[in-house]
Amino acid sequence: MGRFVLRRSAQAVLVVVAATFLIFLATFALGDPFASTGEKVVPPAIAAANRAKFGLDQPLVVQFLTYLGNIARFDFGVDFDQGRPVSQMLLETVPNTVRLALVAIVIDVLIGVTAGVIAAVRRYSVWDVVVTVLSTVGIGVPTFVIGIVLVANVAGWGPFPTVPRSFTVQVPWYQEVLLPAITLAAIDAAFIARLMRGSLLEVLRADYVRTARAKGLSERAVIGRHAMRNAMIPVVTYAGVSLGVLFGGAVITETIFQYNGVGYLLSRAIANSNAPVLIAVVVFGVVAFVFLSLLVDILYAVLDPRIRLS
Amino acid sequence: MTTPMPGAGSPLEDANTAGSLMLPDSDVTTPDAAVPVSRRRSGGFADVWRRYRRNRLAVVGLVIVVGLAVVAVLEPVITPYDPFEQNLLNTTAPPSADHWFGTDVLGRDLYSGIVYGTRLAMLVGLLTVFCSLVIGVTLGALAGFKGGAWDAVVSRVVDVFLAFPLLLGAILIVQAVGGGVVSVVAALVALGWMTTARLARGQVLALREAEYVEAARSIGAGNGRIVVRHILPNAIAPVLVYAFTNIGVVVVAMASLSYLGIGVPADVPEWGRLINQAAPFLQVPGKTHLWLAPAAAIVLTTLGFAFVADGLRDALDPRLRGS
Repeated sequence: MGRFVLRRSAQAVLVVVAATFLIFLATFALGDPFASTGEKVVPPAIAAANRAKFGLDQPLVVQFLTYLGNIARFDFGVDFDQGRPVSQMLLETVPNTVRLALVAIVIDVLIGVTAGVIAAVRRYSVWDVVVTVLSTVGIGVPTFVIGIVLVANVAGWGPFPTVPRSFTVQVPWYQEVLLPAITLAAIDAAFIARLMRGSLLEVLRADYVRTARAKGLSERAVIGRHAMRNAMIPVVTYAGVSLGVLFGGAVITETIFQYNGVGYLLSRAIANSNAPVLIAVVVFGVVAFVFLSLLVDILYAVLDPRIRLS
Repeated sequence: MTTPMPGAGSPLEDANTAGSLMLPDSDVTTPDAAVPVSRRRSGGFADVWRRYRRNRLAVVGLVIVVGLAVVAVLEPVITPYDPFEQNLLNTTAPPSADHWFGTDVLGRDLYSGIVYGTRLAMLVGLLTVFCSLVIGVTLGALAGFKGGAWDAVVSRVVDVFLAFPLLLGAILIVQAVGGGVVSVVAALVALGWMTTARLARGQVLALREAEYVEAARSIGAGNGRIVVRHILPNAIAPVLVYAFTNIGVVVVAMASLSYLGIGVPADVPEWGRLINQAAPFLQVPGKTHLWLAPAAAIVLTTLGFAFVADGLRDALDPRLRGS
């Protein structure tokens, strides 16, 4: 087990370094910050001095290693807009995004697993048909549209804060997080319901479930204690990967609800061409995603011993 | 064409020396080779179609997809107005006999805009999925068939590209390459080929040692011929199903990018862009058409392709039914 964790971790670090290199290369295409554009005129001597100051005259490898070192020390430079450290902007927004992601995951796992189990246990019943059709349709409707519909019809009503947000009214975090979380949860819940149904139906055909039934266990114990343990594995995997994506910022949903997370930070950075913020959020998203995938893999190996042996 | 080959090749050559010995041999091979081939020829498509038809949602999806394709092809004929023509004196007008879906924020005919958006979405969706398919299948087949260094390199590159969440990566690429429909396609292809490559690699790896591949090799078929004529036709089903699922993902990704204000140029009536422009009117009574029309178009498209992909999976691979 220790060797498996070590090998997978090393792989994850290599993937992050390689991905960061691609991002690093992409930054060159984002434009030279010291070039003369439009009304901004930069004398060549000053441009050269600035390049030297920021190490842009160094060989590419040196630049990349410096960049990696800075990231490792959580230094993403300063933003173009106000000259604030980007790492501070991340610190302000990441907790909100993590909170949103966790609430969304809890909602969708609860709804998805419940619906999936009901559909599988009462196969071919009305419930099964309802869950199957709803989940098929749910997967097809993009988050995007769910968010828009919620803003148009639900925001500003009852406990839900208005959109666009009012900057004078303070809203407690649990009210703020509600609508974006529901938006994000809708599709994942549909997907998990489907996954849960399929995987439970398959497990219920297994020999050990028949044995459990044969020795006279109640249906509740058969499903709850025996079948669910194995049937949950794909759900755990999916939820983990999904959490990894959400940690990197739900750009569209956060933008629609003007929720102050990394996703909204990114969309504002796009709007005012704030390259350092853009790059920092992408790097952060990649790291979060790879790290969560690694955790899922390790969890998977704990749950299913066959994995670590292969 | 393939039927006579296994039976005909060897008996004809050896007929003079061992005629009597070959007879039982060819009796065994001919039905063996002929049965699967003839079944595929006559019943293959009908069989798939019969299973596909049983799934009612899949049929609905097919109708939607065909409808969208027809709309996309006939776009110049069925738009009553130029989708780009602005009329700033008649903005955000409600639906009427003149403007079926009303007019948008810039006074363009919304119906014509949605139809134009359909053409754009279909074009970008198909182009992206096709390019991803070609790249993914090529690299995946190379990795699976050649193994060794090829496999190691392709697999590592796949891992690195999979580390990018789709939208984040696409935003970075589009910002780096510059705007325009082409860069959107490039970004979505760059982030869309990996799963195809993995699927193709797995399939090729499994089929590489199949008996019929060994048979093909033993009669002197080259690697290229074996991969293209023997392995890929049998490996392609799951890859195609995935590609179909992905068209909806691509359409939503493009809409998401333009909702954020990047990618497709600002004056193009693209669905995400239309929703972006409708954002200030979300809660204004009487302006619902501004966002409802493009949102409905996106939902219809993603649902249509999702249903078709679902039906295809059931129809092409009966073992996966119910999962």
